[in-house]
Amino acid sequence: MDMDRWQHRLHTQPHTLELDIPNVEGALADPGQLRWLRIAAVAEATTLLLLVGVAVPLKHFSDWPLAVRMLGPIHGFAFVAYLWLILQSLGAGFLSRSVAVRLTLFALIPLAGYLAAHGLAQRTPDQFNRGSGR
Amino acid sequence: MTLADAYLWLKALHVACALLFVGGVVASGLLLAAGHTATDPDRITPVAMVLRRWDPAVTVPAMLGVWAFGIGLAVSGGWFAFGWLQAKLFIVVILSAIHGLQSGRIRRLAAAQDYRSSPASALVAPAVVAIAILAVIKP
Repeated sequence: MDMDRWQHRLHTQPHTLELDIPNVEGALADPGQLRWLRIAAVAEATTLLLLVGVAVPLKHFSDWPLAVRMLGPIHGFAFVAYLWLILQSLGAGFLSRSVAVRLTLFALIPLAGYLAAHGLAQRTPDQFNRGSGR
Repeated sequence: MTLADAYLWLKALHVACALLFVGGVVASGLLLAAGHTATDPDRITPVAMVLRRWDPAVTVPAMLGVWAFGIGLAVSGGWFAFGWLQAKLFIVVILSAIHGLQSGRIRRLAAAQDYRSSPASALVAPAVVAIAILAVIKP
């Protein structure tokens, strides 16, 4: 999109749409988005830990496959929801591409999701605003 | 309710959610393409704002419904080990990922911000055809 065109429109008609269009900083540096990312990171990490640490050993050592059958789909659902939130944040310019890749890789490693959630908790929303969407 | 009734309800709700989800993805893709080439952004921004409200109200719950009911169907049918379902799951993950990116970009479009164009939306139509074939034929 032609950036100059948008900026020209914003500078020449600031009052007609001012009430309807969310403030750019507010729209991108959204604390709610950060909170959802943290919740999803913890949920994904917890389901992965339960799957790998409890359900899989129960299946192989106790011949009890029901836990894997139940936790596998739940973890899949949590992973897709987390991936969706990462990509939405990337598309909105709320995350840089390298941070998005790092968060996705952390989601694949047991316990690493908690590190990702801890890292997200340490940042303020403004630190995530990278300007251009992907 | 018998198990057979539950299966039919799960299937009906899964299909309904899939229709709403794909409709939202197609609409988002078209709007983002239009916003990228529009000569008059004033015409696009109000539509983007409507879609920005529609997305969390309908498309995202529909996507979550697709996954929840789909997983329920797969568990009830014991289909997770089948190749057709694994291929279908992979395609639906790609569609969900495309929608995640679209959702973020719609946010930028509604805020009159620049965003990058992506050819990923072109994958939506073939992905939907592939999903329909895999789900119905179960090759």
